[in-house]
Amino acid sequence: MTLLLVFVGCGVFEFHPYELRGPPRDLHARSLARLKDAGPKPTFQFAVIGDMQLFLDDAAGAMRDLEQRNADFVIQMGDLTEFGSTQEYEWGVELLSRLPAPFFVVMGNHDALGLGQKLYRRTFGPESFAFEYSGHRFVFFDSNSREYGFPGNIPDLDWLGTALTPQPGLQRTFTFSHVPPGNGDFDDALIAPLEQLQADHGVSISFHGHVHQFTDTESRGVRYVTTEAMRHRSYLWVRVDGDAVQVERVTY
Amino acid sequence: MAAPMHLGAWTLAMLLLGAENARAADTSPWYVPDHAAVQFAGSIGFLSAGPGWSFLEDALEASVLVGWAPPALAGEDFLTFTLKGQWRPFRIDTRGWTVRPLSVGLLLSYTAGDDYFAAKPDRYDDGYYWFRTALRPALTLGASAGRPVDALNLRLVEGYFELVATDYRLVQFVRNPATVNAGLFSLALGVKLRF
Repeated sequence: MTLLLVFVGCGVFEFHPYELRGPPRDLHARSLARLKDAGPKPTFQFAVIGDMQLFLDDAAGAMRDLEQRNADFVIQMGDLTEFGSTQEYEWGVELLSRLPAPFFVVMGNHDALGLGQKLYRRTFGPESFAFEYSGHRFVFFDSNSREYGFPGNIPDLDWLGTALTPQPGLQRTFTFSHVPPGNGDFDDALIAPLEQLQADHGVSISFHGHVHQFTDTESRGVRYVTTEAMRHRSYLWVRVDGDAVQVERVTY
Repeated sequence: MAAPMHLGAWTLAMLLLGAENARAADTSPWYVPDHAAVQFAGSIGFLSAGPGWSFLEDALEASVLVGWAPPALAGEDFLTFTLKGQWRPFRIDTRGWTVRPLSVGLLLSYTAGDDYFAAKPDRYDDGYYWFRTALRPALTLGASAGRPVDALNLRLVEGYFELVATDYRLVQFVRNPATVNAGLFSLALGVKLRF
């Protein structure tokens, strides 16, 4: 019986592919606490890594590469998993936990499959959230419009408008979501309103994944950057230094 | 949401009772089950149970399992229906025990509920997802050992274990062996009553 309990604890037994047990909980809150402890820096850098889904071994390579760098935090742009299963959430979290830096994960369409959205919330926290670090704002939102059948409020522009409200002392705002505006999986009717909203609130760079390739474009004065899937063995390295922001595509 | 939790428990009980009643002589028609299984874990429920049919002196068998995982243990109510086929080529009889050192099998499970889809929903184009979240094929690898229990009028009471490689574990293992390694399998334990 004791042995059985040990096995149950180790995750050798799976009751259901979408069971809501297993992976650690509230990881974003933990990452935020670590960032707060680290304190503000005039110059800092973060990595933006792309879709991991079926490329976990390549993602492990990215973790090894990032261990050599001094990132203040790392952001995974969604599609952490292929099937949205609990086990894949665990594999993804295990890989990201190898990083010496705190990490954040955007919810991708694959991550929302089955009970994935509940798994995501349990593991990381709400899919829309924002934090401030060293005088800059980081805003994460759900842009997987097709996954919900284009209900007209994904992305949630009301929430986003509030999250982007200007505040004295804030220098720059970066936004992060899985599906980029203009992609077929992004609600057509919300492309222009989103781009206008981001422009009105002076967003510096809007980061995305989903398309598995690197693109760097501009719309209404806002820069839109997508990062490659891990299979291409690259990620983005973003350096924020006072007035300057540099985005570099790193291969490993 | 899946079906209410009592439904899963009720179905399990009825299947077991049904299998018990179906116990019959060798002359019974093919569709009368000749065994019943109760299983713990294996990605098809916390507990699953159902009747089975065996052929070629138990070397080949098929079973239907209804699995249930309660919210208290799995965080959500899961009701799963599984078809399982197995091939057990070897048989060793020793000291009153019948050992089947190898069983290989295939299963397909279906999870009930609005959170999962078995047919492509309209919002996706053809091929948008290459799998169906309600349907889960898996490979199994296991072994069993059993002995007769005359007191219960059972031809064989058999304990078994199975290593279950579900589709997502297999696919991830093939693509990412270094990350997945032992995670290819989850474990199932079970008991079969052979009439």
